[in-house]
Amino acid sequence: MGPLIPQGFVNPDLNLFFAFVIGLGFGYVLEQAGFSTSRKLAGVFYGYDFVVLRVFFTAAITAALGLLLFSYIGWIDYSMIYINPTFLWSAIVGGAIMGVGFILGGFCPGTSLVAAVIGKVDAMLFIIGMMIGIFVFGQFYDTFEPLYMGSDLGGIFVYDSLGMSRDWFVFFLVVIALAAFIITRKIEDKVNGLKSEAGLFHPSYTAPFALMFGLAILILILPESPKAKWYEANAQSLLEEAAAGKQYIEAEEVTYKLLHQREMDLLLVDVRPEADFLRFNLPGSVNVPLDRILDKSSKKILSGSDNRIVFYSFGSTAADQAWLLTRRSGIKNSYVLKDGLNGLFASVFQYESDSLVNNEMSQFRDRFFVKAGEIFEQGGAIIKTSGKPSPVRTLVDIQPPVAGKGGC
Amino acid sequence: MEQKPKPYMNPYLAGFLLGLVLLAAIFITGRGLGASGAVKSVVIETIGSISPKYANNHPFYASFFAEGDGRPMKNWLVYLTLGVLGGAFFSGFMSGRAGISIDKGPQISNYVRLGFAVAGGFLFGIGSQFGRGCTSGAALSGMANLSAAGFITMMAIFGTGYIVAYFFRKLWIQ
Repeated sequence: MGPLIPQGFVNPDLNLFFAFVIGLGFGYVLEQAGFSTSRKLAGVFYGYDFVVLRVFFTAAITAALGLLLFSYIGWIDYSMIYINPTFLWSAIVGGAIMGVGFILGGFCPGTSLVAAVIGKVDAMLFIIGMMIGIFVFGQFYDTFEPLYMGSDLGGIFVYDSLGMSRDWFVFFLVVIALAAFIITRKIEDKVNGLKSEAGLFHPSYTAPFALMFGLAILILILPESPKAKWYEANAQSLLEEAAAGKQYIEAEEVTYKLLHQREMDLLLVDVRPEADFLRFNLPGSVNVPLDRILDKSSKKILSGSDNRIVFYSFGSTAADQAWLLTRRSGIKNSYVLKDGLNGLFASVFQYESDSLVNNEMSQFRDRFFVKAGEIFEQGGAIIKTSGKPSPVRTLVDIQPPVAGKGGC
Repeated sequence: MEQKPKPYMNPYLAGFLLGLVLLAAIFITGRGLGASGAVKSVVIETIGSISPKYANNHPFYASFFAEGDGRPMKNWLVYLTLGVLGGAFFSGFMSGRAGISIDKGPQISNYVRLGFAVAGGFLFGIGSQFGRGCTSGAALSGMANLSAAGFITMMAIFGTGYIVAYFFRKLWIQ
């Protein structure tokens, strides 16, 4: 079911409302944890207070384990989550600059906001410094660009880079975190001149630590992906739909909608290869070649559509395949143009009036097809539909330009 | 009104709750948390209102006007940050921690502290652009979804922090 907004389960207008509510929680927890004081934050670097490490590591692990469990249960489609792209050297240099900034300033951006709002003057000045920094980055963007945009490795996962399986990586991450919690407690006590307790950790932490470790083991035991996802269509019911031909939409309806753009409630998806699409396509259609139909970017286009989706190809084989694949992976509301483009053109250009039937309906039908034939012939469908030649849209154009943006 | 501030929350509990907030953010929006993005929006909006023409032709700023109906302020991270400010104020106020003050190490004056705060912010401003996010957006959210970028940024921040901590110890400790 999740992520909700990219999959169109939640009205995008509520997006900003959710942002605010999530922010309330974020700010509340950061302040409660003591992240509103720079002295506490800086403690992680000098050994007198490891609160940053404890909160940060626990939060990252909670969310990571939660995501894996959600994904296992089928509550979240991992492929739809935004994975920040790795621009290797930009990330390293940026991180190093931020590391020095952390020592000098005693805050990071999130914590400075939390501290400033409760009256910490140092945090307010930190934010002013940050604004100047961002402005300077913008001014020298030309100089920075090669580094900023260079060595783009895309949205890669850390376990792939390390050549590990995801589950083992998470397991080791939890083990490292638990070890860090135990060791840093000893260091902290020593730096502060306190006597450490005898055991590895205070007995009151036995249950939470054991739970964390247990969940890490559970991740190891569970298979990487669930057998069936809740959003996937049932194969048997799909078979029945396909056998009954329920997926087909008549060429007539598509023609009508093309000529009456105001009533257009279809997202026309051309599943032919890009070269064919560029040579000719139906006005307003989107090109998603069949071999890319399950890509993340394709899924975004399809699942984000409020309109009925109509797949088309020359005939209907490729479109049928696209329909099956996407229906199976949870896209609803999709159809196939019956007999494809060939059928559509045949019905428009080679329309023959049924001379045996002559009533009002059939006359209307005759007139419609003759008219459509004329308009199509003049290339008028394009002009008629949008007032201007429809821009050729390919998948590449539609991909959101997220790669170069900062997420924070 | 002189009240003793309430103690801070247990860090593991706070981390767990923060993890749930992060999980909720990813579950609802498919993206993580962030903080520096909103500050960037403020900067770019300001530049845009002073000189729209300049901002729209600038390779770095222009793309931000293309989103959010041409308003950099109307974006997810800005509203998130408004929430952060609200949540933090509520927490600080209820726990008796709100009030004008400066936190610093025992050896330095307020002016020194404030000067270094500006310098630190300045570096975070630049670094968060290269890192495509700060400690929360790039490192924390990136670690949660197991992206390589998240772990690299996290290690770079804290690794460098530990390396340079010694040279600036007078800022924070005896």
